[in-house]
Amino acid sequence: MLSLKPIAALLVIACLLTGIDTYAQQVTLSHKNASLKTVFDDIEKQTGYYFFYDRAMLRLAGKVTVQVKDVPLKEALDQCFKGQPIEWVLVGKNITLRQTGAFGREPPESVIPPMLVKGMIINESGEPVPGATVFIKGTGTQVAAGENGLFSLTADSNAHLLITSVNYETQEVPLSGRAQVNVRLKKWVTELNHAVVSNGYQRLNGGGLTGTFVKIDNELLNRRVSSNILDHLDGITSGLLFNKNNTTGLNQSSISIRGRSTIYANPEPLIVLDNFPYTGDINNINPADIESITVLKDAAAASIWGALSGNGVIVIITKKGRYNQPVRVSFTSSLTVGGKPDLYYTPVLSSADYISVERILFKKPYYTDWENDPGHRVISPAVEIMIKNRDGKISDADANAQLDALSRVDTRNDLEKYFYRNSVNQQYALNLSGGYTNHHYYFSAGYDKNLSNAVGNAYNRVTLNTSNTYALLKQKLELSAGIIFSAAKTTNSSSARQLMPNYPYLQLAGADGGPLPVYTGFRQPYKDTAGGGNLLNWNYKPLDELRLADDVTRLTDYRINLGLKYSILKGLDAALYYQYNKGSTDERNYRSQNTYFTRDLINQYTQVTPAGFSRAIPLGGIFDKSLNDYEVNNIRGQVNYSHAWKEEHELTAIAGAELRRLDGGLNITRQYGYDKDRRTSIKVDYLSSYSIYPAPSTNIKIPMVDVDRSTTDHYISYYSNAVYTWRHRYIVSASARRDESNLFGVNTNQKGVPLWSAGLAWIVSKEDFYRCDDWLPYLKLRVTDGYNGNVDRTVSAYTTILLNGGVNQYGVSSATINNPANPSLRWEKTNMVNAGIDFAFRHDRVSGSLEYYIKKGRDLIGFSPLDPTTGFLNNFKGNTADMLGNGLDLLLNIKSNEKSFRWYGTVLMSYTTDKVTSYKVKQASIASYYNPGSFNPLQGNPLYSVYALKWMGLDNQDGDPLGFLKGQKSTDYNSIVNSTDLGDLIYKGPANPTVFGSLRNTFSWKQLDLSFNITWKFGYYFRRTSIAYDDLYKGASPGHPDFDRRWQKAGDEKTTNVPSMNVPGDFQRDIFYRYSEVLVEKGDHIRLQDIRLGYELKKEQAKKLHVRGAQLYVYANNIGLLWKANDKGIDPDYVTGIPNPRSLAMGVTIEF
Amino acid sequence: MKKIVWAILLVAGCGRKDFLDAKPSSDLFIPTTLEDFQNILDRDAMNETPALGELSSDNYYLLMYQFWQGLNNKERNAYIWAADTYQGQGSIGDWNMPYQEILGANVVLDGIDKVQVTDANRLQWSAIKGDAYFVRAYAFYNLAQIFAPVYDDATAASDMGIPLRLKPGIDEPSVRASVKATYEQVFSDLAQAYSLLPADIPWNNRNRASKPAVMALLARIYLGMRKYEEAGVYADSCLHLYNALIDYNTVAVVSTPFLRSNAEALYQSRILSTTSVIKGSAINCVIDSGLFRSFDANDLRKQLFFTINQNTNLPNARNSYTGLTFCFSGLATDEVYLTRAECYARAGNTQAGLNDLNTLLQNRWKTGTFTPVTAASPAQALGIILAERRKELFFRGLRWTDIRRLNKEGYNIVLTRVLNGQTYQLLPGDLRYVLPIPPDVITLGGIPQNPR
Repeated sequence: MLSLKPIAALLVIACLLTGIDTYAQQVTLSHKNASLKTVFDDIEKQTGYYFFYDRAMLRLAGKVTVQVKDVPLKEALDQCFKGQPIEWVLVGKNITLRQTGAFGREPPESVIPPMLVKGMIINESGEPVPGATVFIKGTGTQVAAGENGLFSLTADSNAHLLITSVNYETQEVPLSGRAQVNVRLKKWVTELNHAVVSNGYQRLNGGGLTGTFVKIDNELLNRRVSSNILDHLDGITSGLLFNKNNTTGLNQSSISIRGRSTIYANPEPLIVLDNFPYTGDINNINPADIESITVLKDAAAASIWGALSGNGVIVIITKKGRYNQPVRVSFTSSLTVGGKPDLYYTPVLSSADYISVERILFKKPYYTDWENDPGHRVISPAVEIMIKNRDGKISDADANAQLDALSRVDTRNDLEKYFYRNSVNQQYALNLSGGYTNHHYYFSAGYDKNLSNAVGNAYNRVTLNTSNTYALLKQKLELSAGIIFSAAKTTNSSSARQLMPNYPYLQLAGADGGPLPVYTGFRQPYKDTAGGGNLLNWNYKPLDELRLADDVTRLTDYRINLGLKYSILKGLDAALYYQYNKGSTDERNYRSQNTYFTRDLINQYTQVTPAGFSRAIPLGGIFDKSLNDYEVNNIRGQVNYSHAWKEEHELTAIAGAELRRLDGGLNITRQYGYDKDRRTSIKVDYLSSYSIYPAPSTNIKIPMVDVDRSTTDHYISYYSNAVYTWRHRYIVSASARRDESNLFGVNTNQKGVPLWSAGLAWIVSKEDFYRCDDWLPYLKLRVTDGYNGNVDRTVSAYTTILLNGGVNQYGVSSATINNPANPSLRWEKTNMVNAGIDFAFRHDRVSGSLEYYIKKGRDLIGFSPLDPTTGFLNNFKGNTADMLGNGLDLLLNIKSNEKSFRWYGTVLMSYTTDKVTSYKVKQASIASYYNPGSFNPLQGNPLYSVYALKWMGLDNQDGDPLGFLKGQKSTDYNSIVNSTDLGDLIYKGPANPTVFGSLRNTFSWKQLDLSFNITWKFGYYFRRTSIAYDDLYKGASPGHPDFDRRWQKAGDEKTTNVPSMNVPGDFQRDIFYRYSEVLVEKGDHIRLQDIRLGYELKKEQAKKLHVRGAQLYVYANNIGLLWKANDKGIDPDYVTGIPNPRSLAMGVTIEF
Repeated sequence: MKKIVWAILLVAGCGRKDFLDAKPSSDLFIPTTLEDFQNILDRDAMNETPALGELSSDNYYLLMYQFWQGLNNKERNAYIWAADTYQGQGSIGDWNMPYQEILGANVVLDGIDKVQVTDANRLQWSAIKGDAYFVRAYAFYNLAQIFAPVYDDATAASDMGIPLRLKPGIDEPSVRASVKATYEQVFSDLAQAYSLLPADIPWNNRNRASKPAVMALLARIYLGMRKYEEAGVYADSCLHLYNALIDYNTVAVVSTPFLRSNAEALYQSRILSTTSVIKGSAINCVIDSGLFRSFDANDLRKQLFFTINQNTNLPNARNSYTGLTFCFSGLATDEVYLTRAECYARAGNTQAGLNDLNTLLQNRWKTGTFTPVTAASPAQALGIILAERRKELFFRGLRWTDIRRLNKEGYNIVLTRVLNGQTYQLLPGDLRYVLPIPPDVITLGGIPQNPR
């Protein structure tokens, strides 16, 4: 591993050497025989002006003695350089130094030799502008700036430079003898298009592109407060949707960019951190280290990432230092306090209702079977009281009194009191950056401490980040090295809540706050007597469990980046990048003998014989360790070329190859009889079968959870990308990439069929014939086409076999071939055609873009029946499915006049649809489609759709729900819910939003900034829950308040859709109701997501506080719904679960 | 750019191919070792043969119309030689099972050459590879008996055979080869198998092939092609390697008289285990009366092959050489004796033919009751031998091929069924002697159907 020490040392030195900047005009200097450096520092500190100079030059300079008080800067400078072989030029806030001839002797004007001029081109945001062209006026000479905005050329010292770049105003800079020129380009018209974006391989000038890039700059990123960088994108990124209500097992993604284009392959966008794809937990990235994020949406933007880019790409750029930048220190801190979750959000039956249902069931009698159940299934406390009463153990009066007492208990009171709290998240980050002519650096440290609103859940993270870049060999060689380190610790107590039964009248604590047992697992009287006293206490006390939870997960991740870039010729450089990344998720869950889990397992495996008893699972704790680790090696070689001819032609091109290797491992082990202090465990016998409680006749082995698995992904990729611009208005782009991998089949690796893209753009407003300059000064049209890829890890290009259990007829082992070799297995392809228009009205009052795209998923992994002649009888999983999607993305930026009170509005509106156009397998029963727990695409509909069963109302005689079967009303629920006629399935609509967007308003007055974000989602459906009688009776559900609205007498069917209570339950009837169309609701809603109030210190105020600048803010998040289509009180983003509580954050950013 | 990749890979110490061939997950169990390949070949289902031939033959009849009605489409229609055998029924084991076996063989043949051959594993290596060739040849041959016309030198090059899949991949389309090409592939595979397989029968693993099994199979194939000289030669070669017969006097009359490791079984296979009609002790599957009556009371086969049902008083089959209720369709010495006998007789060598027949029957009759068979002419001998062949090789999956070939020679065997008062007949030369290919195969594989 690279040693951190030298880097840290360099950083410290850099800190000491470089001054701190404030704003001032008058200068006071008092130095005696001081070095020029010291004086410069003093001046920089006082004025906020920067010196640009070659440090070597200072060696020529002698010591300075200067005594001035409150003099203008110019005067002070003259004083300093009196007698020195140095003269100075003031441009803007830069003081550039140059050597005067040979020790003060000015050479004659006529014989000035051409000199080497170096410089950097930046935009108004201070970002380097890559690929800008620098011309020497009046000559044919020109060079293109590199990716870092740096350029160098030889010119006469009195030459004038012309700097041009698409979307920037051409700027003329007289050299006036300077060898170092820093040029700040002014954007040309619109804010929208001038951003510098990165696609992970190169930095590109946003205005000169054909593709669709969305850049989220630092300011916008920091609007939100969260430890997770991706959260910062929510609601502010065009076309990007955070999917809520995901169900495990359905291959849903947490984020989707422009809808869905895969079925079984990876659905998540590719995340690129700086140069390389990001593996590992996204929580390892500290948002404070992030400079900007660029989302690559269309083929021209993303297809450079080839087989990884099918779901879009999110490129995250970390902060770096810059050449010639004085040291900057920035400290940010925030405190976020969140409310307790609203436990009353989830509809449940009231305790009184619950007990009244139990009373009805008890009279039926419903529980007789339960009482005699050899499995001793748990019976609720209320029913136990009724049993005691029936058996004459307690009187009617006592029973009623006890039941009344229970009906007044609401479990949620105790839960709220003991299990939840306000969340408190603290974030601290400090960073330091700076640079010299030949070196720049960045160093940061971050600490996050989050206490979740669930008691016992906490998260701590430490991040360290350092990077250094050196320009060597006359700046021909750039060397960079960096390390990002992250360590996080999560403690989790959720297991304490897992076994909680559904009765709404649980008492978790006594009057004194002491933990009380609740009935779970087995029937309480059985627990009390089983094993004749040889078993451990079998009670389950949730409050004890909360205290005993000891489940800690540690995430560690570090990545080392090395980069080497060499300028071979003007405009041509070669680069080599390497990244090593290693990380792990290490979970240790210790469940002591006091936990219910451990006691329960020990008890179940206790062997009681007439001779005595023995324990198959020893006393002591159970210790589960799970280690998920990964190691990634990335290496890339790349050639960059950029050139311009005669101010008319510009070409930027890259070509490269990379090699990527990911090794992952999963290792799970369990130790029984674990003693945490001594770290010892006791071996158990996994092979023997034991009779277990409560059903001693069943013979079961001791659970063995050990797993050892590994994966390895290898990639070789070749790629290239080129953008050609003619006359700054016609842009052509093309990219191609070829991926080879051990995940693909032989044919794919052998045949060179690349993923590619091509694009065209036309900046209409630059045409001579363009006449709308006065009202629409910027107009750009663009269109792209190309292919992105996606990989499905679950399919194999190789023949795989499955060992048959047991032996064959001849007593030897045997195997079945379960997966065909698929030599033509290949990446999934998504073809995207994108057409867009970018525009800006006068004064940028309104600017934005409108885009339309068509997305075709081809060769998607899907199941298909296979010719049995191949020898494979099962459905084959291969490149057989297709999808089609299209959509619109609209972005509008609106701003008021630039006065003291300003208003900015940003409107994002996206429309996206998807449809499975080809899918080879049809399921036999409609249950496979309407049941949201199974994942079966149906040709012609969106991948995730809400299907329902036809509802014919309630029967007016008995309140039974009526379905539709073979053309008529029916109560044959079994046939209705398992119909094989696809015509019985009603397609209600997409399950994911098809129209979504946000409106962000920012008001700015003096130092105050107020912004709020309104988000919306439309055009989708969800299924709400209602009463499920059978589940309620079995204790599998806490019931639903719809119970009160149930059909009770003839005529009720006119006013309610809730079926009558039927005893005993009929689960098919419940299924019919659950999936009927009456429970499908529209998901449309509008939400006030957040409000932020910011205050920025005036420069004078900051100066008083001896800082360069400071910001304070208050941020309120998850404020609430403004409107929703459903009238059931359901937040469609939280159909299951509880909405995120509101939170309020306060934060400060201080720049030194 | 490629040069950069090469350079990097070179530094990493591996080649591009190795890099791209790495196994992506430890969960994927890719067959690479001899053990893996042996495991593939040892799967029980690797030794099943099509049932349609025997279902369509004249060894049995069904007792009850209701029983027939309750059968699945394939078994019901095969019984009456209906033109549409499947009526839409898919997943037909008669086609699918042999192709699964072929896949297994192809996986072994595709991978085994990558296993380093050493002195220690040489024998095992060749036995496995030889077995894979044998399995493939056996499956191709069995498919051709059902789904392709009987071999005829005159038309073999143009008659439609079966798809010859020789690689385990799924990308290559299935194409029906000619009958000639089909048999050529079978012979080529068997030649490979013979050179690799051990001369000894694997006594404890009769599901694995050996040199005698190859010879026995070749004899069977040439007999079916009516190339009697070759058939005789291979039968003779087989019996030179192994010629044991079971003396039925030593066999107890129980429901399972023979074990799968019996002395005559050269190679174990069985008629599709999913077949519901033709099975040991299947009450509704009654043995053809003429066939049953042709057994002499002193012929022990009458008790050992058949059992009289108490209720119906009609003969059903007993468990076979598989040692199970499934019908034996493997290779055994009794068949080879009969093949050689037939070939001798056809060559005019009456005595040699009768000697073989008598050797066999000696072991079939009660001790002391057997009178050696005599014949005045080769033709008479042939008639006796063919009659004994039908008796001895009952429910062995061979009758269908025998009818097909004998009808080529004018034996004029007409198959007749009477069901629910209706009589069905299958005349010699009828197109229905070639079974149709299952509909799902036609749809998914896009191969031409057999004319019916």
